[in-house]
Amino acid sequence: MGDSHAYDVLVVGGGATGAGVLRDLARRGLRTLLIERDDFGTGTTGRYHGLLHSGGRYVAKDALAARECIAENRILRRIAPASIEDTGGYFVATPDDPDDYVDGFQAACAAADVDCEEIPVADAFRAEPALNPRIRRVFRLPDGSVEPWQLIESNVADARAHGSDAWTYQRLVGMERDGGRIVSATLRDERSGSVTRITPRFVVSCAGAWSGQIAAMVDVTVTMHPGKGTMLIFNQRMTDTVVNRCHKSSDGDIMVPVHTVAILGTTEQRVEDPDRYEITRDEVAALIREGEKLFPDLGRMRLLRAYAGVRPLYQPPAEVTAAAMKDGRQISRAHTVIDHDAMDGVENFVTIVGGKLTTFRRMAEDTVDLVCAKLGVTEPCTTADAILPNQVPGKTYWLGHRLAEHEAEGGGDADLLCECEFVTRPMLDDFLDRHPGCSIDDVRRGTRIGMGPCQGGFCTFRAAGLVGERARRVGAADVAESADRAILGFLRERFKGTRPIAAGRQLQEQWMISGVYEGGLGVRSLIEHETPEASREVVDVHR
Amino acid sequence: MSTADVVVIGAGLAGLTAAIRVAESGARVHVLAKGHAATHWGPGGIDVAGIPAASTPRDGIRRLAGEPGHPYAFLGDDVAAALEWIRPHLAAGGVEYLGDLDTPLGLVPTSIGGTRRAAILPAGQAAALAPWAVGERLIICGIRGFKDFWPEAIAASLARERIWEGGNRPTSVTAVSVVLPGLAPRHNLNALTIAGRFDDPAWRATAIEAIARAVGSVPGSGGRVALPAVLGIREHAAILAALQKRLPAAPFEMPLVPPSVPGIRLYTALRAAVIRAGGRVQIGEMIERVEHDGRRVTAVVSAAAVRTYTVRTGALVLATGGIAGGGLVAERDGRLLEPLLGLTVEAPPADDWLLVDAFDPAGHPLELAGIRTDAELRPVAADGASLFDNVRVAGSLLAGQRYVRDRCGDGVALTSGWRAARSLTAVPAGHAAEPGSERP
Repeated sequence: MGDSHAYDVLVVGGGATGAGVLRDLARRGLRTLLIERDDFGTGTTGRYHGLLHSGGRYVAKDALAARECIAENRILRRIAPASIEDTGGYFVATPDDPDDYVDGFQAACAAADVDCEEIPVADAFRAEPALNPRIRRVFRLPDGSVEPWQLIESNVADARAHGSDAWTYQRLVGMERDGGRIVSATLRDERSGSVTRITPRFVVSCAGAWSGQIAAMVDVTVTMHPGKGTMLIFNQRMTDTVVNRCHKSSDGDIMVPVHTVAILGTTEQRVEDPDRYEITRDEVAALIREGEKLFPDLGRMRLLRAYAGVRPLYQPPAEVTAAAMKDGRQISRAHTVIDHDAMDGVENFVTIVGGKLTTFRRMAEDTVDLVCAKLGVTEPCTTADAILPNQVPGKTYWLGHRLAEHEAEGGGDADLLCECEFVTRPMLDDFLDRHPGCSIDDVRRGTRIGMGPCQGGFCTFRAAGLVGERARRVGAADVAESADRAILGFLRERFKGTRPIAAGRQLQEQWMISGVYEGGLGVRSLIEHETPEASREVVDVHR
Repeated sequence: MSTADVVVIGAGLAGLTAAIRVAESGARVHVLAKGHAATHWGPGGIDVAGIPAASTPRDGIRRLAGEPGHPYAFLGDDVAAALEWIRPHLAAGGVEYLGDLDTPLGLVPTSIGGTRRAAILPAGQAAALAPWAVGERLIICGIRGFKDFWPEAIAASLARERIWEGGNRPTSVTAVSVVLPGLAPRHNLNALTIAGRFDDPAWRATAIEAIARAVGSVPGSGGRVALPAVLGIREHAAILAALQKRLPAAPFEMPLVPPSVPGIRLYTALRAAVIRAGGRVQIGEMIERVEHDGRRVTAVVSAAAVRTYTVRTGALVLATGGIAGGGLVAERDGRLLEPLLGLTVEAPPADDWLLVDAFDPAGHPLELAGIRTDAELRPVAADGASLFDNVRVAGSLLAGQRYVRDRCGDGVALTSGWRAARSLTAVPAGHAAEPGSERP
């Protein structure tokens, strides 16, 4: 039996919501532990199109959600500027979009306090020449793109500075209930297998689409309706502005420029199990057909991969309707804090469900207000005012920032390990210094190495070399295994999500890279002899 | 406008081999290619049949020839002849290849710390193949500041018995790094820039001394030294000889991620052989279309920078490569096309192209896709009927082979290129190729 630790609050789930709840609790003086079964941001948060909502997508049918979005949009620009690219957003009326929706759009925005300005169509074409020339009206709204992993890191860093903890690769395997209270929780370390016991005064589930599974551990029912959203990543920014269709939100109607790529979203499809779903070629084809209404040349652009996230859609039991069951899109995206004391007789347990990345801070605030009320804590919420650590006020992210910072330091002479995303050897060294024992996938999320157009074909090998060199320097016993994991994990991760898009130039590039690694470099010799530990990363093939 | 007896599309091993042989027969040959081919990203050896079950390339050919639809079924008997025919052409271009179809397939260490099965290698890599004596050491010598070769990680991996399939291997593996003159402060070095420096005699004299000092710092004697494959292009043979003379252990090159210097040497030697034999090689020609008159191809039209370029031709060798080379194009709707002549492509259904695991030992079914031909390499329709009389298909465009997984791509390319040339030129005089001049 492992160690036992006492905390005021245990937060389950290391997505944006969990990180926000952790930060808010810590700032109100509650000693909190956040646990995540994988790395931070590997669930829905990291499988998202990267949109910082202006609220424009919700004004017509969910004004509450729209109002929350614009309020949080303004707050995030203030407290987390480095995680946000201020791309601005267009809502464009294509010939397929109904006049009545377009005509009422500005008024709907005004009613929800969402800034909206109609601009001359010619101005939009000048700024974004790849847009469909048949677009007839354009509205400009304050959309942006947001880097979820950095946002989580900043929240966690702030919480740690306030005396709280956050552990990755810790899976919640059980909770013990004594009458109307949860008295302990058992965690298993996903890498070492060791078991830890936590005795919290309160438990908050931020497990999103997985909330039902967590609640079931204490015999509480939370019925989630996981909604799969499929997205496509293109190898270029055909637009520097977020572009939305001006219509009732639907499939394939938004393009978000994120770092060096652009992401087309999304679909909406009910799935039974948030860990098991597939993306089909038909789905990809349908998304592209819709996306071509925004960018007519989309079909000829190179797709890097398809991926999907599972939205944590929740239907409060009393409001279930047959219509909503049929179409996940009609369930409100606004969040719900479930008080399991009132609902289920478990006095120290709440679950937060619904919502979206843009409103994660507000979701956390609402949740923590309830927790504090129950624990008798009267400290007010300060998360909307305090700028997050490692952020410079007013300085939002822009695409050239890595190059600019590098040039400012003298430039020129750094080892550029990843040419696509401009990741240098010192940057990778620094990340590895700060994250001992991390996986190569963690490195990818932390530095964006391998996320650009070559999708790891060239930098994989270099990252593995550096990992091996460092392991050797500190006298680690598993130098070679570290390098194997780096190479194989990376190549496998990049392969996932390419099956439904195998075509054209992307398939050509993928074929060349596999020829290089399997042919001249003999990667199969590492696989045939890899240890079970090294093959761990391929287990969840659907993610 | 220009005229040729034979146009070859594609400048990889298959296309250039065909071109050399056509040119040597006295026919006018033009090679047109949109860019460089798999030579530039492959390891630069001639992999004929590196399958695990095979003891030698000849044994591998026999096994692969027995698989349904494999091109070795009709090419297998000619691999030896093609190999012996190309060897002096390559040697004349400065790259000597060692090993033949009866050389035992051995494990060659790679620059990711793995091994691959090989038998026929350029002289610069051949030292890796000899059996390891008891007590023999392997030194991995890296270059400081070069990001495509990581000696510590390679050495750690190769020190593991299982990487050598539990068999013959070096007794010790040690990593060293060397600072080469004028390179250390210049980061972002790639293999080509370093190879260019090695071609300079004064620079390489200093570099070789530095390598000798680094290798000499490792205790012990004899054994072998693995260096990144950057040892010059034009002057490679002289550099290799100087290193062999100066180092206390036998040097060999480890191929790297692209651009592949050994592959560029192979390409350079092949191209030189085409030109020596009187052929032309034009790279940077995007083929716009191939014109034909019924069953005969008559002209190839390409788009260079500012004009279209038409070559009237009596025959065509299609050596445009597989999926990586662009000889086959996968459409998003799941069709697989041969874009120049619209040839019938033999392919599995799109949902079966790729397996779920990137490295499934079964290999992705898509690798088998390609153009089916008759024994003379003429493309055929699904019913087996020949489509064009004066077209031959060569290289990885041929259906039925797993050129990467089974390490047979070079053998198929070499032999099919060689055979395509013979098929087009070894007919009665006057019909070798329909003279283009008849169609001014």
